[in-house]
Amino acid sequence: MTSWTRSLRHGALAIALLLGGTLAQAQELVVSAAASLTNAFRSIGAAFEKARPGARVTFNFAASGPLLAQIRQGAPVDVFASADQDTMDRAAREALLAAGTRADFARNSLVLIVPASATRTPGALADLAGPGYARIATGTPASVPAGRYAAQAVQQAGLGAALASRWIQGESVRQVLNYVARGEVDAGFVYRTDALIERDKTRIALTVPTATPVSYPIARVAGGRDDALADAFIAFVRGADGQRILEGFGFSRP
Amino acid sequence: MSDVVRAPSAIDPPPVLDLHVRATLASGERHFALDAAFVSQAARTALVGASGSGKSTVLMAIAGLLPGVRGHVRIGARTLLDSAAGLDLPARERGVGVVFQDYALFPHLTVLRNLEFGVRRLGHRAAPADLAHIEALLDRFDLRALRDALPRHLSGGQRQRVALARALAPRPHLLLLDEPLSALDIPLRARLRIELAEMLERVRVPTLLITHDPADVEALAQAVVRIDDGRVTGATRDAAVCPGLSSPASGSPG
Amino acid sequence: MLTPLWLTLKVAILATLLAGAAGIALGWWMAHRRFAGQSLVDALLMLPMVLPPTVLGYYLIVLIGRNGVLGRHLQAWFGINLMFTWQGAVIAASIVALPLVYKGARAAFEEVDGRFAQAARTLGAGEFEIFVRIALPLAVRGIASGLMLAFARAMGEFGATLMIAGNLPGRTQTLSIAVYDAVQAGDDAQALWLTAVISAVCATVLVISGRLLRARH
Repeated sequence: MTSWTRSLRHGALAIALLLGGTLAQAQELVVSAAASLTNAFRSIGAAFEKARPGARVTFNFAASGPLLAQIRQGAPVDVFASADQDTMDRAAREALLAAGTRADFARNSLVLIVPASATRTPGALADLAGPGYARIATGTPASVPAGRYAAQAVQQAGLGAALASRWIQGESVRQVLNYVARGEVDAGFVYRTDALIERDKTRIALTVPTATPVSYPIARVAGGRDDALADAFIAFVRGADGQRILEGFGFSRP
Repeated sequence: MSDVVRAPSAIDPPPVLDLHVRATLASGERHFALDAAFVSQAARTALVGASGSGKSTVLMAIAGLLPGVRGHVRIGARTLLDSAAGLDLPARERGVGVVFQDYALFPHLTVLRNLEFGVRRLGHRAAPADLAHIEALLDRFDLRALRDALPRHLSGGQRQRVALARALAPRPHLLLLDEPLSALDIPLRARLRIELAEMLERVRVPTLLITHDPADVEALAQAVVRIDDGRVTGATRDAAVCPGLSSPASGSPG
Repeated sequence: MLTPLWLTLKVAILATLLAGAAGIALGWWMAHRRFAGQSLVDALLMLPMVLPPTVLGYYLIVLIGRNGVLGRHLQAWFGINLMFTWQGAVIAASIVALPLVYKGARAAFEEVDGRFAQAARTLGAGEFEIFVRIALPLAVRGIASGLMLAFARAMGEFGATLMIAGNLPGRTQTLSIAVYDAVQAGDDAQALWLTAVISAVCATVLVISGRLLRARH
């Protein structure tokens, strides 16, 4: 055996050990969560890993709609937390969830925000129909719950027609937040918890009443690898530690 | 040091060709210094030298195709270059017709369009007088049957005639021929040398002919200037007394 | 249903024209100049081809966003905001298409024998005339292939376009973005239909351009 082939064998061995070791040792969990849960769930994930040494949580944050699409296509997700009941209902209808594992774990509220540099602040939704609000950001209704909530509220206020040409659609509530923070749009609909993330670059103008409460459900996805670990994570989120963290970020109890 | 040939009465009328060109060509580490001067009263002068002696460089300098040339170039009463006076006409204004070694016929244009190139400017029509002149050239060089042919369908001899006619179409004050026969194979050369001699007889334009072939000099030239390693080393008014051509060149651009 | 198609064609055609003009001019200029730092300029011009679309999108936002380096002046002086507009999409598509035209044009111009330009000069032609009457006709095949690739690239541009023009149905939702949107929303039927349209158009472009190139011989 030449020295070159010997190094090759050593290299292959090392890689195999690394991979095998990784797979064998840790308890892996993949959690798909709505974009608005990004900061809170990262924090919860760290706390969970500390409470259960050997566990490793990997997060996948996006708007609830795309997350559902991924699960439907067979993505290896163990836990799903969406930003509205509607998306979770669809998941249940498509038999993607493990029976009996669904529960609500938090509430949020929808707010209207403007860039911190804006010269005026709208006092009511109707103000958006006036001049100075040429571009209003919201999530794509078909895939972003926050966008649906906003659309419903706007319809309720009879402003549907007036605002129809002013919408700038974002892929997720975080993108909407980003548009407002950068001043690319004049106003945007996000969750209160999102607005708090960018509190120096945005200003909350008003809380938007929603027809149904903004309530977040969580559930174990059917066919996952480690049911016990998934259930433990869900319990953590709903338990004292998880709730405290969520409140710290501005969420309210379910 | 440069030798010149002066006709007995050098002041009046002005010599056909009077030049002193200095230039330095550098390619990589090699340097070639050109410092050539001569005066000629002949209608057809040959510039002879071994490969790399600088004869093509002189041609480029006269045509204005070489940047950074200093000195002077006068054709009859016209001055093309006079560094001392700050005069350096760009190539397109020099009125110098060039027949390149490989003819450089525009491959995408017919014979007629090639001939017309020098008398038709972008966006303008050719003057009727010029067009008539081109028709005459077509006849004189026996190209009428080929007027719509593309260069790639022509034989070597036909291309030479087209190249000559094209150079003459704009009625230049000087005609430069760069090794006009070296692109042809040897059997063809003798025949075309005679044709060329006849054509040049009829041409009423002063001509400078670059060559390394003594047979060309015999048949085509009335005066000979010899160049070696960038310098003129001999000149004679008598074409029959032609210096040997054996001096090696060094550090030349090739 | 076909709005994304017309929008995509509009954006792609305009982007190809823009990138074409710039790419041909730059290709000509770079083919005939030798100056210090030339390889740096060349690398810069080719950069959009290797940069990830999101990086490109970010640079564009920094440039033409409402508070961007250029964007804030456009807003202040002309009241123009390119974000979320199909014009912004044209700019994003032009930038990713430019390297393709530039590369093809420069290579094509460099292949044209310098002798022809010299002969043209002795026949009285100026530099612009040489470009139009000699260089362009002789380089046309290489340029055409570059333009074709540029058009295909512009048609498919997604990442940077999404960041600049957003996803506004009827206004900036190009075909690629519409497919993405349909997948996100779980609308497979729509996604399938749109994909079929894009594939048909691209295949047609390739067939036509293939015929065009062959016909020259």
